[in-house]
Amino acid sequence: MTPLAFILVLVSESCSAAGQIFFKHAMSGREGNTGLKLTAGVVVKALGFFLWVGLLSKFDLSYLYPFDGLNRVVLMFAASIFLKEKMTLNLWVGVGLICAGVLLVSRS
Amino acid sequence: MPEVAEASNEPPAIGKPRKGLFFNPYTQIGLSIVLEAATEVFLKKGAHDSVTQIWLGFDGLRSGWVWLGIIAMVTSLFSWLYSLKYVPLNIAFNLAGLVQVLVPIASWLILGERIGLTRACGIALVLAGVYTVARPLMKVEEKL
Repeated sequence: MTPLAFILVLVSESCSAAGQIFFKHAMSGREGNTGLKLTAGVVVKALGFFLWVGLLSKFDLSYLYPFDGLNRVVLMFAASIFLKEKMTLNLWVGVGLICAGVLLVSRS
Repeated sequence: MPEVAEASNEPPAIGKPRKGLFFNPYTQIGLSIVLEAATEVFLKKGAHDSVTQIWLGFDGLRSGWVWLGIIAMVTSLFSWLYSLKYVPLNIAFNLAGLVQVLVPIASWLILGERIGLTRACGIALVLAGVYTVARPLMKVEEKL
């Protein structure tokens, strides 16, 4: 996988994760503009989706799909940056396993 | 990838599901996982047939497979949200990890992709990682 393709995978996964969070906030009825949050959710989700379809046209499904595990890594880092959540040992182990797995797959 | 964020939004288990195998929450989780894998297979078929542009797959919309994938994705989401009303979150999330296994199997059986030892080991590591973070991720996500 080229560096560009890898960056696009990361962007696609980040868009997908961000979309989920926008949807969640829109549905929970917290303060703020619900319509705006929903629209933002749809836009980033769609961007993630079309990037993913574009990537699928280039790579095997069994090659690309494991990269979906990075979704969790993105969410973890988002939580530690925006919420100052502590990264527990368990999380580091999981993130390490996912990254090692993705690295192996990328070389297959 | 079942929609993780909506999960925390659901009320805790209240009441009983309707009777019958179809309405059994575990049937619905199974359905959601299978449809999730089907989504990826449909999207792959559609992308393979149609995408000509370099990185953004808008052209995929010309393929019926991609539309089928979108339908499967939405149906999977509804099954997932339904089952979350009745099934404890940690069980649901652990079952959802099965998609990581089902997709490569479907890639092999349906799409005829070859999965070598390196790729199989990588998939196993990702799966182990997904299970390791499943529980703490659920808690963190509720706050995001």
